[in-house]
Amino acid sequence: MAAVSFTAILVLLESLVVGPSLARQPQLASALLWIAVLFAALLAATRSFDRELEDDALDAVIALPGGKDALFAGKTLALALLLGIVALLGTILSIGLLDLAVALPGHLLLVAVLGVAALAPVVVLVVALTVRLRARAILVPVLALPMLVPQLVASTQGSSAALAGDATGSLGWSGLLFAFALVYAVLGLTIVPAAIE
Amino acid sequence: MTTTTLTPSLTMRVRPWLAVASLAAAGIATFMALVWAPPDATQGDVYRVMFVHVPSAWLAYLAFVIVFLASVGWLWTKSAWFDSVAVASAEIGVMFTGLTLVLGSIWAKPTWGVWWTWEPRLVTTAVMFSMYVGYLLLRGLSSDFGRRATRAAVLGIIAVVNVPIVHLSVLWMNALHQLPTVLRPSGGPTLDGRMLATLLSGVAAFTLIYLYCMATRVEIEQARRARALASARP
Amino acid sequence: MPAMEASARLDDVSVVLDDRPVLRGVDLDVRPGLTVVRGANGSGKTTLLRALAGLLPIASGTRTVSGEVLILGHRPQLLRGLSARENLSFFARFRGGDAGGVGDALARWGLAADADRPVERLSAGQRRRAALARIDQERCGLVLLDEPFAELDRDASELLEKALARLGDDGRAVVVATHGHESLDAAAHVRTLDGGTLR
Repeated sequence: MAAVSFTAILVLLESLVVGPSLARQPQLASALLWIAVLFAALLAATRSFDRELEDDALDAVIALPGGKDALFAGKTLALALLLGIVALLGTILSIGLLDLAVALPGHLLLVAVLGVAALAPVVVLVVALTVRLRARAILVPVLALPMLVPQLVASTQGSSAALAGDATGSLGWSGLLFAFALVYAVLGLTIVPAAIE
Repeated sequence: MTTTTLTPSLTMRVRPWLAVASLAAAGIATFMALVWAPPDATQGDVYRVMFVHVPSAWLAYLAFVIVFLASVGWLWTKSAWFDSVAVASAEIGVMFTGLTLVLGSIWAKPTWGVWWTWEPRLVTTAVMFSMYVGYLLLRGLSSDFGRRATRAAVLGIIAVVNVPIVHLSVLWMNALHQLPTVLRPSGGPTLDGRMLATLLSGVAAFTLIYLYCMATRVEIEQARRARALASARP
Repeated sequence: MPAMEASARLDDVSVVLDDRPVLRGVDLDVRPGLTVVRGANGSGKTTLLRALAGLLPIASGTRTVSGEVLILGHRPQLLRGLSARENLSFFARFRGGDAGGVGDALARWGLAADADRPVERLSAGQRRRAALARIDQERCGLVLLDEPFAELDRDASELLEKALARLGDDGRAVVVATHGHESLDAAAHVRTLDGGTLR
């Protein structure tokens, strides 16, 4: 809920500050949306281990056989679902606020789904690396933002291509996003659990 | 844990020789770069920045590949030596990535007319720089040895995987959108034999300096670790 | 239910936390039955249990553990927002067991009436009881308990002592770290931690 309202406010503010006529351009509209989603992801992720950190329940979970992998997979899935909702509502809001013409709605949806799937594992991975560190609030964005450059580029370009009616472009970027999601999910399930302590 | 006791003595024996060798190589490379190599036909003397820029970029990438290998080594063996290598190489790598960016800017202004351009290689290097600054921050902010080493190792591996992915995505973006690209001298300055030799001597000198810095930094890290462990034994 | 056999050994184990040695050259062979680890505050009891459970990186030495391990820390470690029943079911199912006996286990620990309240609404003692009920539900071969008597009233203490006896009869290995409850010592291997060294 907090993540959704945060994104909505951000989309509103960004569009206002940039100026509606500029913000209507596909490239800019999708950049603004994905930046908002990215911030929502960081916001949600830093809080995502709160339940486990309370009362040291994290210890109980990682002491279970396979607990660390399940923790990564579960958190990634949960964050992806949350971000899916955020991205969906953010997109609807952008379209409404900026009176965007969507040339290829199906492609736009595909990019949104894959973009969220590519974003979530990286964010969870960074949160897992910094869990229980006091400086987590600052470390998460510092580590995650440079790492998310490819995801941000690909989802922005893909959405903008879908808005503008470039089917090949949006499919190409979707493929790339799918590859990113796969690479980071594999990394997350192979080496990251070693670092959850 | 035999490596922890063997390696310091080995590096200690090698280090003075590395110091002498890197000083000599740096002296020779400096002479070649400033005096021996001829001026470039189009760029004049400005191109000589290349003789430090290219070797320092080479070192940046080399250093991060070493971080990656050492990270794998730590996760595999849990031998503290690998962690010392990783932190040493990361620090040196960050320094040389920064140097590469600064030197690149200095070279870009007179040749391309701008300090910065959104060309994939530049963007990748800048992103890489911030990623490894983050790596050092993560190390600095986690206090416990074993956890710090494991967390850093995982990040060290992910960062190396990330670098080509960043490069690829920026490359694609530029290819599709033809972002304003700056006029570049086609293929860079054509290297004649003396220029190439100078460049190679620069690379050799920088590599020797890297090895010297590594030997020193690893030794420091090992000494710290040995002190902590010594007090752990009854 | 998973096999209940388990064994655990630490050989010359040292643990360094925050560049400070916490365990120094610890040898420990955990056998079926009860092992009590005594020691003053800060002597390394918690670290020893966590090292046994594999939750800590070991600076030197070797840890050999086979079988499933259940560790209960000095906090109840229950997931906030879920009830005691949901917590126990979650942990049991995660281990591949079924959650059929959860109600009975909670009732045995006196929580029948409060099994469905979110754990954060329970008192500290009730939370502790709920955590201890995991011993009965998950049936792991190696059970590590860190100051399990903290926050327990007399009733619950007696329940725990009975449970420890029951575990010993089942041939399960139990390690209890505590600075009190000398009554346990009669039927147990007793080891003492002093400044990170185990005697």
